[in-house]
Amino acid sequence: MGNTISGLPQIDWGNVQLDVRQPSSDRSEFFQTLEGAMDKVQEVQSGADQQVASLLQGNGQDLHSAMVAVEKADLSFQLMMQVRNKIVQAYQTISQMQF
Amino acid sequence: MNLFGVLDINSSALTAERQRAEVTASNMANAETTRTPSGGPYKKQLVVFGTERPGRGKFALTLSRFGDLHARGVKVEQVVQDKAPAVRRYEPGHPDADADGYVSFPDINPVEEMVNLMGAAQAYQLNVSAVQATKAMISETIQILT
Repeated sequence: MGNTISGLPQIDWGNVQLDVRQPSSDRSEFFQTLEGAMDKVQEVQSGADQQVASLLQGNGQDLHSAMVAVEKADLSFQLMMQVRNKIVQAYQTISQMQF
Repeated sequence: MNLFGVLDINSSALTAERQRAEVTASNMANAETTRTPSGGPYKKQLVVFGTERPGRGKFALTLSRFGDLHARGVKVEQVVQDKAPAVRRYEPGHPDADADGYVSFPDINPVEEMVNLMGAAQAYQLNVSAVQATKAMISETIQILT
């Protein structure tokens, strides 16, 4: 009892220095990219919105252009959603770490 | 070009085929037209397709800005009038008959126009299938992340 396990070297904790970093004030590049992508999704969605509105108002809008625009908006949104899910999943994994 | 660029090309083909169907419908509707605003009988219209750089418009999601130089959409370059002369039929009672009793009718064969229309409809369907295939490709690519 009280003896160190033979074979394991004694760790000298005195020399270990924790590398504590201050969070940088500017947003990280990743989140900037994510915000840019979300803006693009927003753009595509409002474009689809305009096309559908124009179609319903009978402004001579192509039916297929509106459909393709809606599909693009849907796919962009799905992509954004999947990226968001991935980020949340990573966050949850980290927050559930047991120490 | 990203996969949305493929959708732009498909979309351009849909627009072109719709215009072709419109022109064909116009030809069929005016197969017996003897009066036009420019005078004389209706002239058969023909569409001429040309290649087009795919859209760099507001719907081209510009996550990737490097376009593939070989990918081209299609557009209706011009709608030209058929050069064939009008068909003259003897109908002395017709108000547009000339002094000899002949009326100039457009040289339009409804059967030919019907085949053109079927071609346009089939090509449209083909491109809709291509849109669906592209959509499935994008969806499946997104599924990589899950």
